[in-house]
Amino acid sequence: MSTPSVSLRGLTKDFAGATVVDHLDLDIARGEFFSLLGPSGCGKTTTLRMIAGFSDPTSGTILVDGEDVTCTPPHKRDVNTVFQSYALFEHLDVRGNVGFGLRRKGLDRRTIDARVSEMLELVELGDRHKERPNRLSGGQRQRVALARALINQPKVLLLDEPLAALDLKLRHAMQAELKAIQREVGITFLFVTHDQDEALSMSDRVAIMNDGVIEQCGAPEDVYERPSSVFAAGFIGTSNLMSGTWTAGCVSVADLSIPVPGHQGSAEGDAVSVTVRPEKIWLSELTPQMFRVSGTIVATSYHGATTQYVVSIGPDLSLTVLEQNLPQMRADDRWHAGDRVEVGWLPEHTVVLT
Amino acid sequence: MARARRLERKPVLAVIVTAVFFAWLYLPILAVALFSLNDKKSLSSFGGFSLRWYDDLVHNTALLDSLVASLKIATVATLGSLVLGTMLALGLERVTSRRGRVIGAVTLLPLVTPEIVTGVAALLLFTGIGLKLSMTTVILAEITFSIAYVTVIVRGRLAGIAGEVEEAARDLGCTPSQAVRLVTLPTLVPALVGAGLLVFALVFDDFVLAFFTTGVDPQPLPVRVYSSIRFGVSPAINAIGTLMLLASALLIVAALWVPRLFNRGGASSLDLITGGDQR
Repeated sequence: MSTPSVSLRGLTKDFAGATVVDHLDLDIARGEFFSLLGPSGCGKTTTLRMIAGFSDPTSGTILVDGEDVTCTPPHKRDVNTVFQSYALFEHLDVRGNVGFGLRRKGLDRRTIDARVSEMLELVELGDRHKERPNRLSGGQRQRVALARALINQPKVLLLDEPLAALDLKLRHAMQAELKAIQREVGITFLFVTHDQDEALSMSDRVAIMNDGVIEQCGAPEDVYERPSSVFAAGFIGTSNLMSGTWTAGCVSVADLSIPVPGHQGSAEGDAVSVTVRPEKIWLSELTPQMFRVSGTIVATSYHGATTQYVVSIGPDLSLTVLEQNLPQMRADDRWHAGDRVEVGWLPEHTVVLT
Repeated sequence: MARARRLERKPVLAVIVTAVFFAWLYLPILAVALFSLNDKKSLSSFGGFSLRWYDDLVHNTALLDSLVASLKIATVATLGSLVLGTMLALGLERVTSRRGRVIGAVTLLPLVTPEIVTGVAALLLFTGIGLKLSMTTVILAEITFSIAYVTVIVRGRLAGIAGEVEEAARDLGCTPSQAVRLVTLPTLVPALVGAGLLVFALVFDDFVLAFFTTGVDPQPLPVRVYSSIRFGVSPAINAIGTLMLLASALLIVAALWVPRLFNRGGASSLDLITGGDQR
């Protein structure tokens, strides 16, 4: 394996006695789009700031492209940051902002001019190059911030929730654009976000962070389909969490015995939590291979493309079920609160959590 | 219907109060300007237009010396307090400890200390350490008094620009001192212009501090004006007052337009003083 773009070894940060980042070990491959996903206060931004050099680790090392930069000041690190607030220089126009890093490197004017023009084309800001940042829209400011960092061709680009300030539609457009730009320039992106959709749709790999540790790290499909911890399952998407005990190859939850084929490592009587994603549960067209259970619809909510049902299985157990509103279905074919239903899912969709 | 019509009625009372307020504020000043053009020496009856008091003023070397002295004091005090106040603001911004916040609060004390206390204290200090009262002592006292204003305005602006801006500069290859020089200070220009104009205006016509700390000659203008009215007001005072009024009107126009010239669409320093157009 080639040298990773970023390697963190035992990275730890204490703030006033509290451990914000706790012995983090992580390798990010060259050219990878990697997301740190987690709730606010989980340590993801602190991790990013330590890699950028704005915050000193309490212990541990940071390697960028194999080189130890733990004690290197930010201006000597070959990484650049896109800040959440964009942090544009209001006294300079768009060109001045984008060319700032190259001027600090002492490149000659002709080269800087050419590269700034090229970068502005890439982010589609060629016609606004003489504007002051305060005359630009949120999306345009975001592009300036991106161009200003990318033009330096850093080993790693750090992005601190760069899309959080944009409205939903613009955010979706920028997600696609950011991903396209990343493919084009081939620079390693380390993206920090609390937005699971953003992380899943853009990343090659996602690390879910909680309380200063990485709960799970893997491809978006892996972390969604096969969450490894209760936190990971709960943080990404909706999950039907059921806690029970391991009894004779099944998980006993209330009076249900949920089969978990292929699961190993639990002893008789162990506490085990399992989860099923709502879209994996069927309300109709059940097949014999499915694990089935009957219940009562207690709530429905219509979301346009999908409808979400809450099905009560037992006194303390209810399942959330997501059905697509397919073309052959009419409004009066849907279920209503109070209907008795049978739900079922394939045993392999039951995921055991640790 | 009747109710709706009542709501649409003109706010007569508000209009009257506003008119009275502006009359109260500006009529006396208008009177000064008018009587500076009076042909007679009287301050109560108007005897036709004349520029004789302006002519008088041009030949009144004592008054002109005082004007020059006040301009010098205000200029040096403005520059001095801008440098020190900005350094203080930048320093306080980096301090997050509790002790630092206490220091930050203490720097605001001159804003609420009665000026006469500051004046007496300055006088006691200067005579105590054997410093001869002169223009220098006035300048020193005025700088001390003005730092708080600069610090307040600059800190306000610093709070408005994201703390990430300086980090962005360092991220893009600036050493910490380059980040301040190339990014923070240029971003602060509107605030510095605003603070400078405010301090200049405050110091230029400050009487209390100047009265306690000035030497014999040349006296700052406000002190000179005060001593001369004890022997009866010369209408030349009206003339110099009118000229100062015109000068400050020009300063306000400058405060409005100068930042706009090199920062299109940016907040002008006047907005900073009046608190309007917060961004």
